[in-house]
Amino acid sequence: MKEKRRSTLIILLSLAFGMLALTFASSALFRLFCEKTGHGGTTQVARKMPTRVEDRVITVRFNADTQRNLPWEFKPLQKQITVKAGEVGLAYYHGINKSQTPTVGMATYNVTPHKAGIYFNKVECFCFLEQHLEAGQETDFPVQFFIDPAIVEDPTMDEVDTITLSYTFFPLAKGTNLKW
Amino acid sequence: MAYAATADHVHIDDHPSGWRRWVLSTNHKDIGTMYILFGAFGALFGSVLSLLIRLQLAHPGGTLLAGGEFQIYNVVITAHGLLMIFFFVMPVLIGGFGNWFVPLMIGAPDMAFPRLNNISFWLLIPSLILLTLSIVVGSGAGTGWTFYPPLSSVGQPGAAVDFMLVSLHLAGASSILGAINFITTIFNMRAPGMTMHKVPLFVWGILVTAFLLLLAVPVLAGAITMLLTDRGFGTTFFEPAGGGDPLLFQHLFWFFGHPEVYIMILPAFGVISQVVSTFARKPVFGYLGMAYAMVSIGVIGFVVWAHHMFAVGLDVNVNAYFTAATLIIAVPTGIKIFSWIATMWGGSLTFETPMLYAVGFIILFVIGGVTGVTLANGGVDISLHDTYFVVAHFHYVLSMGALFGIFAGFYYWFPKMTGKMIPNWMGNIHFWITFIGVNVIFFPMHFLGLAGMPRRIPDYPEAFSGWNYIASIGALMTFAGAIYFAFIVFYGFKWGKKAPANPWGEGATTLEWTLSSPPPFHTFETQPHIP
Repeated sequence: MKEKRRSTLIILLSLAFGMLALTFASSALFRLFCEKTGHGGTTQVARKMPTRVEDRVITVRFNADTQRNLPWEFKPLQKQITVKAGEVGLAYYHGINKSQTPTVGMATYNVTPHKAGIYFNKVECFCFLEQHLEAGQETDFPVQFFIDPAIVEDPTMDEVDTITLSYTFFPLAKGTNLKW
Repeated sequence: MAYAATADHVHIDDHPSGWRRWVLSTNHKDIGTMYILFGAFGALFGSVLSLLIRLQLAHPGGTLLAGGEFQIYNVVITAHGLLMIFFFVMPVLIGGFGNWFVPLMIGAPDMAFPRLNNISFWLLIPSLILLTLSIVVGSGAGTGWTFYPPLSSVGQPGAAVDFMLVSLHLAGASSILGAINFITTIFNMRAPGMTMHKVPLFVWGILVTAFLLLLAVPVLAGAITMLLTDRGFGTTFFEPAGGGDPLLFQHLFWFFGHPEVYIMILPAFGVISQVVSTFARKPVFGYLGMAYAMVSIGVIGFVVWAHHMFAVGLDVNVNAYFTAATLIIAVPTGIKIFSWIATMWGGSLTFETPMLYAVGFIILFVIGGVTGVTLANGGVDISLHDTYFVVAHFHYVLSMGALFGIFAGFYYWFPKMTGKMIPNWMGNIHFWITFIGVNVIFFPMHFLGLAGMPRRIPDYPEAFSGWNYIASIGALMTFAGAIYFAFIVFYGFKWGKKAPANPWGEGATTLEWTLSSPPPFHTFETQPHIP
């Protein structure tokens, strides 16, 4: 009887601790899941350049947001560009630090429609790194990308002729004062 | 005394008295009693807060909870939710009735780990103290019971939110330990001959609940820990600036939160099965179907969490999956409802107070279930999300489902626990006050929600004032019913007639009714043989 109780106890405790461990792993797993599947419009990092260009023309629109605690002005330099699937496109954003102190920002990103995330490849992007702007400094942020030519073979992407690429800059430093 | 729990073979006739009996208790009945008293306190606390909410909302432009730009209102709704869930429904249904009747119903002498049981209970006291601190410290924790970041991470600095989170940590630890205890007891300590397919449905309800607790609460504990380190130690689990994702918190929270709602209702399902069978004087219709319906509700309950997040921007296929999975839960739930009705059908029915509450439960739970099926549709939910329609829905299944289950169980087992009878007519009056009261509060909220009144907002336009006023009258009525209930309990203790071993007649067939009322301190030291 006591033996049985002890083994039940051990099984149940390991179940509980297993769930706890999974929870802590979830942060990494969630990111991995989004990167692998393009879930939520997560874009891909290009490992190699595309080898073919399809005739399919897609309009890429650009959106920029800044979290209110980051004293930057951040906007795209072009509203939209058109690229063929497989063709490498280059776009610029423009950032100005309007405060008197140097600040560091980091951009989050995704595309809509979300299902296009898996086909949207970035070759080079300012969003891969932290961005440092001195007081009053202005700079251009480049993003180089292409749309995977495999998009033409996916029937669920047939109606997609516009993809919106969106960035939101957040301040990296903690302890910004929020009033509530 | 400390050895009593481990030395199975030692027969002990006497037991500690005075404060030691309670503080050092390892007796499942005493611990159950403490849980019920604790839950009663939590209920009173939570009800007073809900009354404050209804008074604030009785008229447009209310100023009762206007302090700190309505932060006080936020604090009150947050504490109301947490108190009702963690300090009323769970302690009474699981800790109270579970501790009292699971060992009795399976013919076990006590719980498997009696001292662990003691810890489970006493962890709740510091937990409640911390929650109380979270109300009064600074400007209070006004995050809502779901405490989503960024509101709960960077939006509300100050110690109050930390107190709330640590409070939930302790309550969670208590629940996990309790769950381990219940599962071990039910699996290993049943009387000879009592197979799993013979244990009463209340025990099945507690068993499934315990598994849900065991698998869901650690996820809450993990999410809370990450939130605490985000708040205090500069980690960025839920902070986009550092590569985290606030949506991850919602996924984790609801992975816990959805099973949590079944944690609150499954023990009530069990109570209702016992009560309906007793007062229909028939065995429960489709016993195995009833047991496995609860198991499947528990299993499916783990894969539907994102139906709380239809409005966060999940893509349409994900929403479609969560809609379909959620609708499937209506099947086992429907099995339960129809089986209760089939149990009553052709039975020799009498309507003592517990039975009135059980029938009331079935009616109200069906209403809450229907609005649940409505809300389960991702497309519909986009427009109803965070409106009073949702508030109406979950109060129909919880405030009326779990609460009516608690009252049914309380009136059913009060004679067994105390050895005193509560006069039937007194309980029946209480039932009708409560039944009418809660419907007057919550039914109008459907109209308010469909008309677009958002939840968690302390004020509203003139157009919503009519139904809000009526809901507030219902709240006063229900509160009056609660005061009357306190009087009934007092009356039962003071003047109640002595209860026989089985006051409910031949329908009450479970093992607890073979014992005297109240049962002796130690029971089933020799386990009964079940044919």
